[in-house]
Amino acid sequence: MSSDAPAITRDEALDLLYLEARLLDDGRLAEWLELFTEDCVYWVPNVVEDAAREPSIIYDTRTRMDERVHRLTQTAAHAQSPPSRTQHTVCNVEVLAADTPGEATVLCHLVIFEQRPGDDWQVGLGAPRWFAGRCEYRLRVRDRTWKIALKKVNLLDRDLPQYNLTFVI
Amino acid sequence: MRPPADLVVETDATFRVHASLYTDPALFDAEMDRIFGSAWVYLCHESELPNPGDYRTSVIGRQPVIVSRDQDGEVHVLFNRCMHRGAVVCRADRGHSNYFRCQYHNWVYDSRGALQGMAQPSGYPDDFDRSGLSLVKPPRVGTYRGLIFASLAEDGESLQERLDDVRGYIDAWCDRSPLGRVTLPRGNHRYSYPGNWKLQLENGVDGYHGNYVHESFSQILERSGERRRSDVTRARNEVGGVNSAKGLSHGDGLLERGSGMLGTIDFSQFAGYRERLAQAHGADRVDDILTQRNVLVWPNLFLFESHIRVVRPVSVNETTVDNHPTMLQGAPDEVNTARLREHERFFGPASFGATDDLEIFVHVQTGVQASSAQWLDMSRGMHREEQRDGEIVGHSTDETPQRSMYRAWRRAMARTNREAVA
Repeated sequence: MSSDAPAITRDEALDLLYLEARLLDDGRLAEWLELFTEDCVYWVPNVVEDAAREPSIIYDTRTRMDERVHRLTQTAAHAQSPPSRTQHTVCNVEVLAADTPGEATVLCHLVIFEQRPGDDWQVGLGAPRWFAGRCEYRLRVRDRTWKIALKKVNLLDRDLPQYNLTFVI
Repeated sequence: MRPPADLVVETDATFRVHASLYTDPALFDAEMDRIFGSAWVYLCHESELPNPGDYRTSVIGRQPVIVSRDQDGEVHVLFNRCMHRGAVVCRADRGHSNYFRCQYHNWVYDSRGALQGMAQPSGYPDDFDRSGLSLVKPPRVGTYRGLIFASLAEDGESLQERLDDVRGYIDAWCDRSPLGRVTLPRGNHRYSYPGNWKLQLENGVDGYHGNYVHESFSQILERSGERRRSDVTRARNEVGGVNSAKGLSHGDGLLERGSGMLGTIDFSQFAGYRERLAQAHGADRVDDILTQRNVLVWPNLFLFESHIRVVRPVSVNETTVDNHPTMLQGAPDEVNTARLREHERFFGPASFGATDDLEIFVHVQTGVQASSAQWLDMSRGMHREEQRDGEIVGHSTDETPQRSMYRAWRRAMARTNREAVA
């Protein structure tokens, strides 16, 4: 990392978060993957936030994220047929002061509205659902672009029973 | 409601279950009384309350209980219900406390359930009889290898007798730990689904659906180079060997496959693990211990390769499932971490496996609304299953375990409430 690497601006951080939300809501998952570094982690922890000692809801390395995208886009994943429509809504964004040049930590709140189309008389289809979480992003400059090295989402209801979190949070 | 005995119908060649088992609220109420009111019901694991004063809440059917460990280390099961005016005395799902206090009028109970006092005691005479005012306990509590059970029946088989036929499988499952001891981490995977509780029971020992419901996962394994799809399909179709579906007495059942056949963790990759198992349990037991099994312990417990699964019926079309991954004490750390990651990959609420099962449960729960079609067929393999050493052994895709659980359902449901308690 060069020592003159810039600090992230608030606009750059917002642009990245909004772009991610738009790619997810448009189902452009291959492009979503490209927002991340090769050594990234996409983490939706459980209660203790220790991935070595307890199961996480999601603990995806880049390889596992790639599998997740493949499953959603290329395979007959019943839990996503029909696929969820989502609206990722990002707010309460805070850009924290960085200790290391070329790195940044961004906090935000996330609300996802989700709905699955189809025969809405059927159980599980049609009914709107919402999910809330607090996010921490660790960003790094790679090839002069800010990339996501860590996306951590603490869901409001992470220790309560969940149903069908198979869309990308 | 038809007589429950008429809702599970068996001939020499056919086995049918009536659709109302998934939809009728009156039948659900009867199940809570007759099945959960008499069977040994799994509550929680000893490692969830390791120290004196620790507690964990659970349910027996729909009845809330506290499982607490007293100062002497003894485990007590207490109904979470104040003896004064009926409020719960504990609101947390787990914790540490030497007493439980009702927030309504401050009646206080110790970790054995004994009434210790109440607010403004001068409102009662000095000789007020408190003897019947301890928290109520289920008549029988038992523990086997860390698994804590309770029964609402005053009499009947002891837990040891109840587990007789399935004990060897429980032992093999525990002995994946070189110390013979599994523990549960603090966090677990919980999911709920809008469907009947028995759908999860049927599916957990169903070897027929894998090639179809988990097609997506097979494709992922092929892509990663872990398993060829054709090998997975062949393994699921294979006849003989250790591949089988079994029906046991008491409604228990299991799906059994050779070590590493379909699971994606190859235990031999972890240096020293097999050796530690051989040293602890004997070399001749290692293959048996590592055999992949889904064990159903009727009516609410599964032991899976990587986790304990507890099925909680909420209503006729609402179920909560707790998947507690297990940590194998004495196994290399890499084994436990790899098991956690694989658990997330296949079994969690955002996983690539169990989520597709849940979707299918919902397909069934919707489909059975078409009540003009009255029956579900579970006859598969009746013509080829065999009796062997007190077990019914079928092909791994046969509905042998499902028949075993529905025979237990019929036996329990055919009893009246009075008989169930007697």
